[in-house]
Amino acid sequence: MSDLFPNAFHVARREYLVRVRGRAFVITTALLALAIAAATLAPTILAAFGVADAPRIAVDVQADDLTSDPVLAIQTALVVSADPDADPAGEHDTEGRARVTRADNPETAAQSVRDGELDALLTITRDDRGELAFEYLGSASPTNRTRLLITGAATAIAISDRLERSGIGQQEAAAIFEPPSFTAMPVDPADARDSDEFGGAFILAYALVILTFMAILTYGNWVAQSVAEEKSGRVMELLITAATPRQLLTGKVLGSGAAGLTQYLAIVAAAIIGFIANAPISQSVGIGGQSPISLPDLNAWMLLAFGAFFLLGFVLYSTLYAAAGSMVSRIEDVQQAVGPLIFLSMAGYFASFTGLNDPDAGWVGVLSFVPFFSPYLMPARMLLTSVGIGEILVALAILAVTLIAAMLLASRIYSAGVLMYGQRVGLRTLWRASRVSR
Amino acid sequence: MSLVVDSITKRFGDVVALDGVSFSVEPGRIFGLLGANGAGKTTSMRIVLDILRADDGRVTWQGAENTSLPRRTWGYLPEERGLYPRMLVGEQLRFFAALYGVSDATARAETDDWLERFRISDYRERKVEALSKGNQQKIQFIASILHDPAVLIMDEPFSGLDPVNVRLLKEAFLEMKQRGKTLIFSTHQMEQVEELCESIAIVDRGRVVVSGAVRDVKRAMGRQVVRLATDGDGHGIEWLKAIPGVELITQREDYVELHVPADRDPGMILRAVLERGDSVTRFEIAEPSLEEIFVEHVGRRAVDESEEHLASSSRDDAE
Repeated sequence: MSDLFPNAFHVARREYLVRVRGRAFVITTALLALAIAAATLAPTILAAFGVADAPRIAVDVQADDLTSDPVLAIQTALVVSADPDADPAGEHDTEGRARVTRADNPETAAQSVRDGELDALLTITRDDRGELAFEYLGSASPTNRTRLLITGAATAIAISDRLERSGIGQQEAAAIFEPPSFTAMPVDPADARDSDEFGGAFILAYALVILTFMAILTYGNWVAQSVAEEKSGRVMELLITAATPRQLLTGKVLGSGAAGLTQYLAIVAAAIIGFIANAPISQSVGIGGQSPISLPDLNAWMLLAFGAFFLLGFVLYSTLYAAAGSMVSRIEDVQQAVGPLIFLSMAGYFASFTGLNDPDAGWVGVLSFVPFFSPYLMPARMLLTSVGIGEILVALAILAVTLIAAMLLASRIYSAGVLMYGQRVGLRTLWRASRVSR
Repeated sequence: MSLVVDSITKRFGDVVALDGVSFSVEPGRIFGLLGANGAGKTTSMRIVLDILRADDGRVTWQGAENTSLPRRTWGYLPEERGLYPRMLVGEQLRFFAALYGVSDATARAETDDWLERFRISDYRERKVEALSKGNQQKIQFIASILHDPAVLIMDEPFSGLDPVNVRLLKEAFLEMKQRGKTLIFSTHQMEQVEELCESIAIVDRGRVVVSGAVRDVKRAMGRQVVRLATDGDGHGIEWLKAIPGVELITQREDYVELHVPADRDPGMILRAVLERGDSVTRFEIAEPSLEEIFVEHVGRRAVDESEEHLASSSRDDAE
């Protein structure tokens, strides 16, 4: 059998150019990039249009014997939740923050709520037993965020009122509710990370899993489609006489993969541009940029490992997609043939979603070495827990060896499959035929 | 040194597709592979090309095993035509040439030359799907020879072509022969074989039933054909039976065809006619046609098979 190159390159080049020049590719890529850029800018855009307006609450305090100001307590609850760094004692009606006011006239305030000028009216009374009672006029949805926050604030006000009546002073109460000293010591000192960074890592891990899954599903399908097209269009016989199955298979996977990566990079670039553009745009429309989630510290090695897992996983799946495509005679049957592969990548996808919530679990560790799952699970584990370099290298090596085995298997299936027409070819027939093909 | 196919056997599951097929083709000759559909022509060709492996037997070209030969040795025109429909003609031809290691400059020059020869130069920058079937077939022929292969293997190259294009393709065949190429093609159109082939093999149900130089094959039939027309047609043909040695008499539209054993002198028929006093308008001594030879060896007409083939839209390509 002759060498892989330059023929694999010729096949890849043709595949890439045909794909990238296609109108469908250009349009889809442009639309996806636009959609992603829009999605990253969405919070800013929504804020600019006033959709994310801070809630306006009126409080009617009929229980006038309260020692602390309930208006301030509610303001604190709403502001703290909206912006952790904001000074709750700051001005009550700063732009972009919740405005809580004391209702002078309950009738007018209730009417304002009905007219939509106010979001809610909270009435505080004292009942027969001397307990504080709260009445909330506003959105009836139990999941309404403002209502949930105010419920929390009301509970706090009621408790401090009860403590007050039991003779426990405010300072004493504050001491009771002081959180204990709690320090988490990581087993691996190098693994120390603060919780802010963990949030970013978590989001990044999710993003990686989703992006890998989508790339495999979409671009793997391209490979299968294009093989089936060549077969049903009968170009295959010309190709197979001019080049070896391995050259064709490699070229196909590389070319389709490169086209897929082109689209992928366009989308990622749009997302990055969106994130970068977010701050200047939000400042220019005067809504005060809120810094996006802080990304965890990523060193070059880590990025390299992510890239390696993505590429190896992608090529592994694509190779098998190509083999699946070579088994059908008609393009309509492609979906059926790639079914098992879709199932496999779905299994990896869902396993990693479960695994993300418990990255230290034993089964997650084991699965992160299994070839078809490691492209999902290992990068996620690397972000969320401490993974030794040795483990990463072993997982990559297993993946690479599997890839070589898959290449051999796929070119065998391919060389037998591409010349078989008629009914869907069973794996058994294929295997028998492949033993005598070159 | 010739192309030698030496007792190749191929099974697909329980079906024996080839059962010890052997033939040899002299370099620089045109060789016809005849057989009904399913006889094993395509499988034989695929095995020669090494895109299928035989269960048994070997193929050599100039003494070298086909499995060790570079792919550019062969030019192949498959029976089922197919090109990338949305690729430009010129671009597509250069792609296939590149796969065979032809430089881009050479591929361009050769492409232009052949498009000119087939009178389709205007189509170079068009998509293949915009071309007629006949023109697509010409493009496919060009794709199979751009890399200047030593052996051309063409599976039913004339099927689906109109007479003008058949002529162009025949001219191309002769051009390739002049360049010293060896050509093998399969067909069930006997006229093309009579016109082009120096030697043939007839394949039936995975076996070669007869092979060799066309002349020898015809002689081996052991009979001559006499075509006779007289002005005394009204007498019928019954009296011809009385002539000793005449084996078979067939009434054609405007002549009578008689079979005479090879060792008899056909002149006796002419003498018998003249003795009757009829005047002879046609008297022709010929060798049996390939059509007749084919029918006699295969036991059915190749054309019937081809019609059958056209009628069935889906067919298993395990041939």
